[in-house]
Amino acid sequence: MLDHCSISHKGGVVLWSRSFTPEAEQLASTAASPVNSLVREALIEGRTTEEKYEKDGYALKWTFLNEFELIFVVAYQRILQLTYVDDLLSAMKNLFVQCYQPVLAAFVASIHNVSTTLTVQAASFDFKQSFKTWDAYFDKLLKGLESQAALDRKSRLRSTVRPAVVAATPPSESDNAPALNPESTTDEQQIALNVQALKNRLKGRGGRRGGKVGRVGSGRDSNTESDSDVQPKRKAKAKTQRKWGDEVPTEADMATLDFSMDKPDSGSENIGSVDVQSLVDQTSLGTRTNDGMYEVRDWDFSKEKDGADDAIANALKPLDSKVSSSEGTLGTLGSIFARLTGSKVLTDADLKPVLEAMKQHLMKKNVAMEISDKVCEGVGESLVGKKVGSFQSINNAVRVALSTSLTRILTPKTSTDLLLSIRTKLSAPLASNQQRTPYSIAFVGVNGVGKSTNLSKVCFWLIQNGLRVLIAACDTFRSGAVEQLRVHVRNLSMLGINGAGDSKGRVELFERGYGKDAAGIAREAINYGRDHDFDVVLIDTAGRMQDNEPLMRALAKLVSVNNPDRIIFVGEALVGNEAVDQLTKFDRALRDFSSASGTGRGRGIDGMLITKWDTVDDKVGAALSMTYVTGQPIFFLGCGQTYTDLRQLRVSNVVQAILKN
Amino acid sequence: MNAMTDIPSQGSEGPEVIPVTAMFNPQIMMAGSALVALLLISFIFLLTRRRTSSKGTALLLVGPPDAGKTSVMSQTAFGQPWQTQTSMQINMSAVTLSPKKMFPVIDIPGHPRLRGQFTEHLPSSKAVAFVVDSSTISRNAAAVAEHLHLVLHALTSLPPSQHQPALLILAHKSDLLKATASSQNTHTLAINRVKTILERELEKRRASQSGGINIEGLGDEGESTELGGLQCGEKEGASFKFDEWEGGEIIFLGTSVLQNGSAKEGSSNGLESLQQWLQDNM
Repeated sequence: MLDHCSISHKGGVVLWSRSFTPEAEQLASTAASPVNSLVREALIEGRTTEEKYEKDGYALKWTFLNEFELIFVVAYQRILQLTYVDDLLSAMKNLFVQCYQPVLAAFVASIHNVSTTLTVQAASFDFKQSFKTWDAYFDKLLKGLESQAALDRKSRLRSTVRPAVVAATPPSESDNAPALNPESTTDEQQIALNVQALKNRLKGRGGRRGGKVGRVGSGRDSNTESDSDVQPKRKAKAKTQRKWGDEVPTEADMATLDFSMDKPDSGSENIGSVDVQSLVDQTSLGTRTNDGMYEVRDWDFSKEKDGADDAIANALKPLDSKVSSSEGTLGTLGSIFARLTGSKVLTDADLKPVLEAMKQHLMKKNVAMEISDKVCEGVGESLVGKKVGSFQSINNAVRVALSTSLTRILTPKTSTDLLLSIRTKLSAPLASNQQRTPYSIAFVGVNGVGKSTNLSKVCFWLIQNGLRVLIAACDTFRSGAVEQLRVHVRNLSMLGINGAGDSKGRVELFERGYGKDAAGIAREAINYGRDHDFDVVLIDTAGRMQDNEPLMRALAKLVSVNNPDRIIFVGEALVGNEAVDQLTKFDRALRDFSSASGTGRGRGIDGMLITKWDTVDDKVGAALSMTYVTGQPIFFLGCGQTYTDLRQLRVSNVVQAILKN
Repeated sequence: MNAMTDIPSQGSEGPEVIPVTAMFNPQIMMAGSALVALLLISFIFLLTRRRTSSKGTALLLVGPPDAGKTSVMSQTAFGQPWQTQTSMQINMSAVTLSPKKMFPVIDIPGHPRLRGQFTEHLPSSKAVAFVVDSSTISRNAAAVAEHLHLVLHALTSLPPSQHQPALLILAHKSDLLKATASSQNTHTLAINRVKTILERELEKRRASQSGGINIEGLGDEGESTELGGLQCGEKEGASFKFDEWEGGEIIFLGTSVLQNGSAKEGSSNGLESLQQWLQDNM
């Protein structure tokens, strides 16, 4: 069912991980692993509030444990609808902390060890050693949840989705007998099960398929590989299958099967299948004899013989009961004392009013409501469970966290050096039969945000850098659009470069009048620019509302036909909640329509240009909304009426402006 | 505690209300203020002592994501090749070279949105190690060069009063390269490769900058955001060479960390060159 599961520190150290399929295992060790992409594209980007993250056919869910800065990640096939993943994550979280608190505390302390005097060094962290019992616990936990889910699912068989597990990973997929079903089973049932399992395997070997319904009902998927041992016994009996098809005994069968292939396992991380009794004995034994300094022993003493079961049961209990028991007893005085001693742990209740105030503040700064919601939620998630320093108020802690989070969102992840990328393209080596095509930039956006004006500013900047620029007038709709550009070109060609004469011939307008197809004009313009040795082609498009589908299709056509090097979305700083809608719809329309008509995958927006920056003072929330929505950088800011009024975004200034009261 | 706070408050009212009893109070007040001053001074002294002691000792690990910074850290600080993934936050740990010699090592995430944090730790560092994945450098050379450019710029723009940290470039994951000539060591191969590719890319960046006018340069009040740090050599037209870089010497080391190679314990973990350098210089 699951493909990969890992527990890691936020600093990048993986404490424990397990892959359930060979593909996932192979992928997990590379830079392109789903977990890495999750961290890179969702967690660092501040998109922690989303439910799940999808990548390459995998769906990932995660949860944070801020106290020890841990991330728990579960990856599974996207087509599966696993209902128990959330429960599994929270149970894992509780259980893992319960079991390994001392080890974790020591580890986190050593990884934040600033002063060189601390000698945590003595305790070296061998995670394989430390967490060797975890594999067994995890198996148990997963087993319990899976059987629970199977029971729940029984009523709605139609939605059952069963992957055929690849047969090559018996050790990692091993099942421990669930304690819930101690039913004894007959040999006949077993045989029938084996037959069914074999059939499954033959049918769906290597691949995954959904919607396997019928006689076995919600049979356990894991039976598919445990059959390998008992294969020879097969006797086809169609009737027996039907007889006990949608019953629990399948699991009981599993139990018996596992007993039969029980191996003496010596505590290595890939334990074979074990039953309850041997599991418990073995773990307690291991901790007593092997490592003395290792803290799990304490925990074992405090528990009964069935410690693992109890712990799992505890872990499965809802979180809130735990929280209330740990709080509460000392009351306000206790919490004040705790804060003075610097051991106050932040809870949801502490953070809620502060976050609410922060959200209001962000919205006052013109951040879109949806975005401020998400940002604050993300900040809250990163703070719950953290310890507040002795003199630091919650307010302050939230402020600091918000500031880092804003900085992270606004800092571009791709290069914003347009000049460099132009030069790189122009100087790139070409095949002899190819002609150098100019660097093309398309400006898109809604009506009246200042596309043409800022295009001329960018043009001025490019000319000042000694590049030859062609402006393609692809706004064939609004009357006066072409004339407006003509005036700009006239003005620009009369201005000198670096004070030396005029820049005639450095800038030209490519126009074809009104009412024509914009994509065709852009095509012609790029060809013209190529033939006449222009360096850059700036494509001005007509403004359009994001909801107007025919016009968005036309824009997508322009993009897919000409494939410009950069697509810059022009938006105004005055925009509030609308920013989110505009950008998402432009981005999606471009991607959807251009991928449908053109080749390969669709192109989205590459960056933003925010205009009318001078009109908003410190209400600069639009910048945050726009970067959050697309994850793309802001290339320029337009901040005035003259050609020189083009600026680059300074992240620290924007963060300051947003946080300013 | 209560008595202490009471007496000064009496004293402050004393001179105005009851001048007779003020005979004693100024003395106590003076003694008290002297005590407070002493405490304050000693506190500040302690604070600055601590700061100077931790100043300029750290090893800073920077570089693009997936280069292996956290692995290098875990290997040097903990002696164990942990499995790692993309980092979300800074790791700090202490390296013990000998019982007396310890220094912190700071691992900065390489994600573009987080990498800027290294500037905060630059003042407290003695050496900056730029970790490069030598097996994938040819593919993402431009991004690596951009990152390195930031580092070079930050190093050269440090105030002159500050000690400039040494710059190492680690051609990491050199074990993934296949040595072409049998005589050639993979480490040297990795170094050569990283060096030539980065020099080429940095030269590109320099060339595009030298003629360029920044956007900020257009306005009157715009401060310069020009990313410097690429000046080298006396000649004007010379291309960028690490050997002639104005910021000082750059040391190249070839390293690797064996992820699962616990078989050859201690004998060769691929980091000897770094460890040797740390022994000598930290």
